[in-house]
Amino acid sequence: MAARLEISLKEHLVDPEGEGIRKKAKAYFGIETSRIRTVHILTIDAALSAPQLAAVQTGIFTNPVTQLSSYQPLAIVADWVIWVGYRPGVRDNPGATAVEAIEDLLGIRLGAGEAVYTSRRYAVSGSGLTRVQIEAIGGELLANEIIQQWRVYSREEWDPAAGIGIVIPRVRLDHTAAVAHIPCDSDEVLSRISRERNLALNPNDIPVIRAYFSDPRVRASRAALGLSDPTDVELEYVSQARSDHCNHNTFRGLFRYRDLATGTSEIVDNLFKTCIEAPTLELAQRKPWVVSVLWDNAGAGRLDDDTYYVITGETHNSPSNMEAYGGAITGIVGVYRDPLGTGKGSKLVMGGWGFCVGHRDYVGPLKPRLHPRRLLDGVIEGVRDGGNKSGIPTAFGQVLFHPGYMGKCLVFVTAVGIMPARIQGRPAEEKRTHPGDLVVMCGGRVGKDGIHGVTASSEVFSEHTPAGHVQIGDPYTQKKMHDFLLEARDEGLIQYITDNGGGGLSSSVGESARFSNGAEVDLARVPLKYEGLDPWEIWVSESQERMTVAIRAEDAERFMALSRRHAVESTVIGRYTDSGKLHLTHAGKTCAWVDMDFLASGFPQWEFDAEWTPPERRGRLEPVLSPPADVGRLLADMLARPNICSTEWITRQYDHEVQGTSVIKPLVGADRDVASDAAVLRPVLGSRRGLAFAQALLPAYSAIDAYAMTACGIDEAVRRVLAVGGDLDHIGGVDNFCWPNIQYHPAANPDGKFKAAQLVRACWALKDICLAYGIPLLSGKDSMYVDGHLAGRYGETHKVSAPETMQFAAISVVPDIGRCTSMDVKEPGDLVYVIGVTRNELGGSEYYAHHGYVGLNVPQVRAAEFIPAYRALGRAVEAGIAASIHGVYRGGLGVHLALAAMGGNRGIRADLRRVPAEGAARVDTLLFSESPGRLIVTVAPAGRSEFESLFQGLACARIGEVTAEPVLQATGLDGRTLVSAAVSDLKAAWKRPFGDLV
Amino acid sequence: MAEVKVLVLTGYGLNCDHETAYAFTRAGASAHRVHINALIDGEARLEDYQILVFIGGFGWGDDHGAGVIQAVRLKTYLGERLVEFVAKGRLVLGICNGFQALVNVGLLPGFDGDYHTRSVALISNACGNFRNQWVCLQVNPDSPCVFTRGIDRADFPVRHGEGRLYADEAVIQRLTRANQVVLRYALADGSPAAGRFPHNPNGAVGDIAGICDPTGRVFGLMPHPEAFNDWTNHPDWTRERECLRRSGQPLEPGETVGVRLLKNGVDYMRAA
Repeated sequence: MAARLEISLKEHLVDPEGEGIRKKAKAYFGIETSRIRTVHILTIDAALSAPQLAAVQTGIFTNPVTQLSSYQPLAIVADWVIWVGYRPGVRDNPGATAVEAIEDLLGIRLGAGEAVYTSRRYAVSGSGLTRVQIEAIGGELLANEIIQQWRVYSREEWDPAAGIGIVIPRVRLDHTAAVAHIPCDSDEVLSRISRERNLALNPNDIPVIRAYFSDPRVRASRAALGLSDPTDVELEYVSQARSDHCNHNTFRGLFRYRDLATGTSEIVDNLFKTCIEAPTLELAQRKPWVVSVLWDNAGAGRLDDDTYYVITGETHNSPSNMEAYGGAITGIVGVYRDPLGTGKGSKLVMGGWGFCVGHRDYVGPLKPRLHPRRLLDGVIEGVRDGGNKSGIPTAFGQVLFHPGYMGKCLVFVTAVGIMPARIQGRPAEEKRTHPGDLVVMCGGRVGKDGIHGVTASSEVFSEHTPAGHVQIGDPYTQKKMHDFLLEARDEGLIQYITDNGGGGLSSSVGESARFSNGAEVDLARVPLKYEGLDPWEIWVSESQERMTVAIRAEDAERFMALSRRHAVESTVIGRYTDSGKLHLTHAGKTCAWVDMDFLASGFPQWEFDAEWTPPERRGRLEPVLSPPADVGRLLADMLARPNICSTEWITRQYDHEVQGTSVIKPLVGADRDVASDAAVLRPVLGSRRGLAFAQALLPAYSAIDAYAMTACGIDEAVRRVLAVGGDLDHIGGVDNFCWPNIQYHPAANPDGKFKAAQLVRACWALKDICLAYGIPLLSGKDSMYVDGHLAGRYGETHKVSAPETMQFAAISVVPDIGRCTSMDVKEPGDLVYVIGVTRNELGGSEYYAHHGYVGLNVPQVRAAEFIPAYRALGRAVEAGIAASIHGVYRGGLGVHLALAAMGGNRGIRADLRRVPAEGAARVDTLLFSESPGRLIVTVAPAGRSEFESLFQGLACARIGEVTAEPVLQATGLDGRTLVSAAVSDLKAAWKRPFGDLV
Repeated sequence: MAEVKVLVLTGYGLNCDHETAYAFTRAGASAHRVHINALIDGEARLEDYQILVFIGGFGWGDDHGAGVIQAVRLKTYLGERLVEFVAKGRLVLGICNGFQALVNVGLLPGFDGDYHTRSVALISNACGNFRNQWVCLQVNPDSPCVFTRGIDRADFPVRHGEGRLYADEAVIQRLTRANQVVLRYALADGSPAAGRFPHNPNGAVGDIAGICDPTGRVFGLMPHPEAFNDWTNHPDWTRERECLRRSGQPLEPGETVGVRLLKNGVDYMRAA
């Protein structure tokens, strides 16, 4: 017998949730409502007595000071009612914690199948509201059909006695678990089955799979266990492991690269090996601080002798594109399991975010699944809840708007952790499984969640993509597990640890078993959310918040005791062996028996044709544009462009100071409202060593050349960490590629060869610049299918591909946080210097974009020219003579002088004639060119000679000074005042686009 | 010097344990992170500690009101032991989620020695969202609170979605009259925020950021003193450093007001 408890704020209290919806309904759809009240509903599907129900109502779920509640529908006057609840099987976090609270208070355990389901009822008032309007609020603001069900009631339809009725979204599968044996007598049959089962097997892999299962020796060994044809468990296992997501087939592919201008061609065999692995291994030899790279869930560097840091990056694009909140929270909570599963386990100390979406005010004819505005709201909130509830500071990030991301958005998440250098005297970065170790699954339970998520993200998003892979992360469950596992680590109980992400157990057990060379797992032992899962589903489910841990049998008792102490579920599901086989059973019968080395050999390399046409051959030109006269207005308009303006509203929602480690915050300056170049934290309280972290991405440059996009992105990330006090000799990188499909198809992907060439060039840039700057790639990620097919005006669909994008994250050790510097100018009279040469490099710039141009002269990274200046800057930082440092990034010198002034609420008087420049004798070029390698530094007059002597012979010039009067003044090339703008006006313009958002 | 032992309660999604313990260590205490379940099952004894800290975080995800389920668990399993702890003259501090738990347990406001009644609530921010920012706080010099002795102003960060203090008018008046209002959100010059956003970041009635019980030994506040455990935590520190450099003063300032606030508690217990 289920009971339904409705809870709402007392009538006289403002309902911020309802008010937020009202504001959005007005701003997004122009719908005027007079009042929206939220009712929280708990449907308690458990055999509780009336006194028990009363006890939980008053003892837990009703705050006597502020709330009303009733097991009958609350009488709230409204013109319309919208009810929103989860679909069956969608993770209901508040429902789960409600069960815990009820069990605690009543001292009982709910029975199997008993649960609490949460939902919401919105009571909407307003004169003349129509059903169409209410359905817009329900369907485009409140509910997403992929995960939620919702209903609308008019005043007439609403039955005040029955309310919403009793809705119980319990999963009922009515299915008996079974193993299917799949005939694969021919490639055609296997191809068909691959399609039918959504296995996404590559056609080239099919003969290899068939050959293995037809091999007489394999068949003989299988026959002994009662197996003949491959089982569905086995094929799913192979499919997961061979997916582009897990195996990086594209990056390990063979590229036939042709330059169509010169006619030259070359074979590039394996981008990963040549452009990522080889340079990183070479640098690791030269950089003693590199601790562990290229094999674990995250790379590790040395913070000091006692502590290592680890870093990794991820994307969660496809799920976020369909369910923004769920996709993003799952993404950030998911990436946090990577450091936790690095070495013997790392504590999470920082997160980063990056969102690439269509324009927030898009009004064109294309119909993405979620409007970019709604999508952005959702991903912001997903990262907010995922980060904040994990207790990990979300310290740095950026949003980027571009119409190309309407096809599929990008959600980047980055995670940083720390581990002690040694655990019980043994190196913490090492881990392995041994025969006899137990396979333990910790954390959440397994359901149908995320099945085929990995293979879906390896495909172009289409209307047939299964929606079932969208999940909602549960930071609460994971935080408990995180705390538990770190205690277990410190007691020396963990031999091996890895997360269950893409591919679930198939991936975590499959990979960890390589060390011992075998494993046996009984899939029937895996705890399930509900009955009725087939063994293959248990094996590949991506249900979140799970880690796989290897422990010695003798440690099991202590490990389980600790697990109980932390209220974490841990289950022994098998043991590691040295049999050379992965052996899975269910209900006592073998359902998979695969050689451990099968996946490591014999599969064909993917192949791509890559054709490069240089930009001038593609019709890229410099626009014919005369210098502007009204530079003040131009500068204000540049500052108000969506990719430059203030996005404070996002940063403020993110707890960036939890753990008490914050040194340089994401927002700095006198009013604490201007974005910092980078974040710095001191991850070990009590130590003076810091970690500087920043990210950069410049996809606009890909319209000209993805080489420049990559090179400039790396240079920007480097300057960002140097600006706050990072050390050029200790910078680690994380490359995160998001690319449109590069497989050529004459109709479906006619520019596939060009996009493949762009990828090759981007990887070349990655290699060149990382080697030049000495940046080992501590981690990396690739997401290869950032395309979507969007419905248009007439029932047609349009393929929309994202610009070729690589987000680069840089992490650097700050030897002493006392030397950290912020970007805001400090005292009047301070001297303003520009380091680096401004060139005619407006191609792909924000300035050209403002005028609707792309241009040709894309910025070039001149590492040999830049490095001596970066070293000199490092010495200035060490000497403590830089009062402020700020890089010149997107938008150019004009924009970034304005930002430095805005940060300090001071003025800057500058003479553009003094700016170090080459071939840039125009004010718009000087102000808006995006030449890399440049920084703005302010220095107290007393430090002048010391600073200038450090930059002797380098491109560095004193261009002006900081003024008390908050006015940005620049003298033009003719010696006359070119611009004189009040800093407060510039700041107002910069805050205008998103300043009303909270 | 006598050791002052601080129990920092952890587990179930709470998350400020390390920095709270660290800041108390800097304040001269011996701080221990103890899981709620260790206290419940008796592995750790409340009686062995002089200060009990309810920390920030998201206990049970804050899914049914911030601090609500934590309060249920504490009331169910520890109940009168908490009240006895206070009665013995020891200190209880609740920060952010911990403050929310204290008002839901009923340890605050503790009128007339009643440590069970819920009469104060911390509800969703008026701005409608979670917010991380630094606030200026004005200390009520007439408050009996032992933690704020000798402090008149403080800057700390707030990081919460449900920090708006609310109570019936009579309760607010009583809190005010009895000087149980310890901290109020203020402007940079110390004058009242008067409800103005973002100085008052959550719309708290009367700008109230922290309250204590009538003894001054139970104290709850939304801002995070433990997050100001080092001078580099303050958002203005790089600007202050420039002023210090130019006036030739040493760059390493002393104790932060965050540590000082905790030290007041430690010193009080040491003297007790």
